[in-house]
Amino acid sequence: MTTSVGCKHINWIIIAVLALGMLVGASSVTAQETASGLVFANVLAGLSVTAVQDLNFGDVLQGIAKNVANDDAVNAGIFTITGEAGAGITVYMALPEYLATPTGDDRLTIMFGPDVASVDTTINVDPSAFGSGWQNTNPYNLPSGITVGTVGQNQTAVFIGGRVVPAINQKSDTYSGYITVTVAYTGT
Amino acid sequence: MLLGTGFADHCRGQNIIINNDLTFRDMLGGVPKVVSKHTAGSAAEFLVTGTAGAEVTVDFTLPQYMYSSGYTLQLIFTDTDCAMDSSATPDQSNPGYNDRNPWETQTYRIGSNGLTIWLGALALPRTNQQPGDYTAPIVLTVTYTGS
Repeated sequence: MTTSVGCKHINWIIIAVLALGMLVGASSVTAQETASGLVFANVLAGLSVTAVQDLNFGDVLQGIAKNVANDDAVNAGIFTITGEAGAGITVYMALPEYLATPTGDDRLTIMFGPDVASVDTTINVDPSAFGSGWQNTNPYNLPSGITVGTVGQNQTAVFIGGRVVPAINQKSDTYSGYITVTVAYTGT
Repeated sequence: MLLGTGFADHCRGQNIIINNDLTFRDMLGGVPKVVSKHTAGSAAEFLVTGTAGAEVTVDFTLPQYMYSSGYTLQLIFTDTDCAMDSSATPDQSNPGYNDRNPWETQTYRIGSNGLTIWLGALALPRTNQQPGDYTAPIVLTVTYTGS
C-alpha cells in the first residue's frame, strides 16, 4: 500500500517533470521574424573649380593705374565651376589687396571694384561673349542663386577684372597674388 | 491538451513585409539630408503581420554608414526617428506610437491590420563625398513576448 502510493507519487512526479519540460520547450519556441530592408542614397557629382586663365595686367608703368575689364577675353581672370547641373551653389572669392614681387621686397596695390566680376551660367568660357547669368557684379558679394550651369550643362564660369595702382617709384619687377575661389552646394 | 494548444499559439508566426526602403535619393556633397519618418515613399516602412492583440518586441540593427565601393557616407538615427501604428488605418503623418527610439527595444501590440513601423534618418555627406550609389542594410527583428 505504501509502496503503491509511492509509485503513484513517483508517476505524478514524472508526469509533472515531463509537463514542465514541455512548458519550458514551448516557451523557448517564441516566434521571431527578421527582415532586412535597405537605406539608399545617390551622391551626385562633386564640385570642382578650375583656374582657366589668370588675371593678367601685362606691363604697367610707374604711377599709371591700369584696368582689366571682366569681358577682356585675353586678360580677364577665368574660373570654371563644374558639378551637378542646375544645383545651387555659393561662390566666395578671396581677393588680394596687393601683388608682391617674388622676393616680397615690394608690393603693388590691386583693387576690385563692385562691378568687376561676371558669372556666366552657360558653358561659355569666353568673357567677351557673355551668355547668361550676372554681369558686372560685386566679387566681394557674389549673388545668391548661382547654379552649376543649367539643366544639362554642368558648368558655370566666373570672369573677373581689376585695377592695379603702381606707385611712382614702384620697383620694376614681376608681381603676383592669389585669387581663391571657394564653392559649396547650397542644397537647392 | 492545454499544453498542445499553448504550443500552437506560440508557433503562430508573424511576417515582416518591407513596404518601402529608407531612401535619400539624390544628395549633394556637404549638404545634409533628413528623411522624416512621416514622409511617405522616402521613410522606411515595415508591416508586421501576425496574431492580433499579441505583444511583440521590435529591435532594429542600424547601420552607421552607407557604403559605395569602399567609400562611406555617415548616417545618423536619432532617438525619435521611429514611429509605429497598429490601428485599423495606420497614419504615417500621425502615428499612434510616435517619436520612438530605434536604438532601443520597443514593445507594442499587433493590431487587426498588423503593425506598421516607420523609420527616418539623417545622412551627412562630406563636402568631397565620392559620387555614387550608397546603400546599407537595416535589420528589423520582431519577437512575440507571449503576452
